[in-house]
Parts: sequence; structure tokens; C-alpha cells
Amino acid sequence: MTGTEIYKRSAAYEREAKTIRLHAPQWKLLLAFDGQRSLAEVALSADVSFADALPLTEKFLGHGWIAEEPITLDQYLKRTGAPDLSAIGAAVPPAVILHEPKSETASPPQPPPIISKPAAQPPPIAASSPPKPRGPMRLSAVVDYLTSLNGNNALGQLLVYRVFLRVPPELLQAEDIASVHLVNDTSLIKSETLQKAIITAVQEVAKRPLPDGVYAAA
Amino acid sequence: MPLHERDIHYFIEVAVAYLNKATGNEIVLREPSIEFQSLVFSACTGLVHLKGNAEGFVYLTASQHFLQNLHAARHHHNRLTDDGSRDLMSEITHAIVHNVQKRFGPSLHLSEPRIFSTVPDDPIEMPPAVFVQPLLWRKEHAYFVLGLASSEAVPPIV
Repeated sequence: MTGTEIYKRSAAYEREAKTIRLHAPQWKLLLAFDGQRSLAEVALSADVSFADALPLTEKFLGHGWIAEEPITLDQYLKRTGAPDLSAIGAAVPPAVILHEPKSETASPPQPPPIISKPAAQPPPIAASSPPKPRGPMRLSAVVDYLTSLNGNNALGQLLVYRVFLRVPPELLQAEDIASVHLVNDTSLIKSETLQKAIITAVQEVAKRPLPDGVYAAA
Repeated sequence: MPLHERDIHYFIEVAVAYLNKATGNEIVLREPSIEFQSLVFSACTGLVHLKGNAEGFVYLTASQHFLQNLHAARHHHNRLTDDGSRDLMSEITHAIVHNVQKRFGPSLHLSEPRIFSTVPDDPIEMPPAVFVQPLLWRKEHAYFVLGLASSEAVPPIV
């Protein structure tokens, strides 16, 4: 289970709904499965961390209350934002590459002391500018989204680390963020500058835009 | 190209594998965090600088009780002295260095481990962010800490 799967509530759920007993947050997750959004998006919308959503989803699957919803090639291409190759007769879904290597000019070797400079310059804004930020950004949602991309919790958490290596520390300091807890972080990021830096870092490292679900309701 | 997560994770895997071998697979990995302003140091620390394809440092830091339990797990029943703690930490850190070096070869240079009690004698400059993986064993803590200078400046490990 990688977080990209799409589930919808099943006929078995409809039959058994009145007899199902769950805690409220579990209901919130179960009711969020709509056959449209991925597991990662559903977890975000239900305010459940990806790590918590995984066993619950497996439980729902075990009971037969949800079932995986296959999607068409067209839907898949729309979700990945890839060009529709079917238009030119090549019905082959393009590979989604999260960590595509790119050629970079290596910086000159640093002198022996362990770390010569604490912070790299913020990366330049990509040619396609990131979307304009809205409302406060939930750090937990950013972490959960990034963690879900890797399909492996430990590697996903290191992806989060790689992203934050690219966020200028002075921006985090200005927002009083001394650390990121990789589970259930409660920080809200209000600074637009910091939001933009995170958006850019995510785009650079994960090759994906952040979903709307990372923003708290205004 | 920045260091891939799999490569970064290998450092943690090696440390945990070593400790699990010594403890009978009883090491529990707690939820990690990313720290921007401070480093965590416990009673005894083994630190290694990285140069080459990765720039930064890794270290393992453990409480006195953690090391005492580790000492006891090896059927030593005497009290672990400060020198004994440093020797034990040195042994663990050298094992980590050996295994990491075996995987990455000459493309990554690992320094001779620095072993110290409480806090380092020479200040360690804080990188942009450090990854802190807490390890729990018999209610005692150790921390594996990874500090990379910046993913921007790191060429690929092949």
C-alpha cells in the first residue's frame, strides 16, 4: 500500500453500515473514501496521519467495507498531470518518477571542517512558479504527504529531511519552528515566504506539487 | 543529485543492526524528528565526519544506562566506568564506519570516530537540519543523528 491507491465504499458497507461500530476519527476516514481521491489525499482530508491511516484502511479492506477502485488511463493521466499520450496512439502510461536524477554542476569540494556553511542558498524558483499560497499550511499534512509518496515510512521520513535541507533555516527560525516532528506535528505555517520555500523544496526534491489538503481551513 | 533516501537510511540500518545484534533484536525505533537549531547529546557519543559524496556527520549518542545494559548483555557484570563507556561507544562507532565504508567505498570518506562524554570538546557547527532517530531499549534512550551539510551540494553516490 503506497498511498496512491483509490478506494471506495463497497456494497458490503452499505448493507452493514447500521451495525458498524467505530470511533469517530475512524468513521471520518471511512466516510472519506469516495472512489476519487488517493489514500494519501483521503487521509489528509480526514486529518488522519498516513501512518495511522494504513492499518485502518487495511482493517476496512479486511471487513470488505471498501474496495479498490480501478481507474481508466485517462483518469490516471489526469491525476499524474502527464501528457495524454493516447492522443497520439501510444496507450502506455508514463512512468511517474519521484526522484529523477538531474545533471547538476557539482560544487567545488569544501575544506576539511565538517560543515563549512550551515545553510545553502535557497534554490531558485523553478521555471513554472509554484502556486500562490493560501491560508496557513499544516506542517503535519506536508510531512504525511511526503511520507506517503515513498511507499516506505522510513524512507518517506528521510525524504522529508531532504526537503527541509533545502528550506532556509532563517525562515524556519523566524516562524519559531525549531523542529519537525515526523508524526503529528502541530505547527501551522503562516509566513508566505516560508510556505513558498517549502513548496519549492517539495517540487525540487519530490518532483510533485503539494496538494491543497496541506492548507488549513481559513 | 542529492543523496538518495536509501543511501541515507543505510547509516541508520547499520547502527540499528549492530545494536540489535547486541540486544537480541530489542531495539525500538521511536518516531524521528528533524531539528533545526540544536543537537542532542547524551552521556557518551561517537561521531564521524563525512566527506566526499556526502558532507556532514553522523553520530550515535547513548545514556549511561543504555551502555551499561549493553555491557551487561555481553555477560559483563561489573559497573561500566566512563572509560569503559567510551571504549564501548568506540567499538560501536568503528563497526558502523566499517560497514558504511564497505558499502560506499572510496567515494565517501569517513573520519576516525571522535568519542566524547556529554558534549564535544570542539564545537560542531549546526547544519541546516539534522535527522534525529531515537532508539529505545529497556526504557533507556540512544539517538542516532545525521547531519548533512545540504542536499544541494552533494553529488551522487554510485
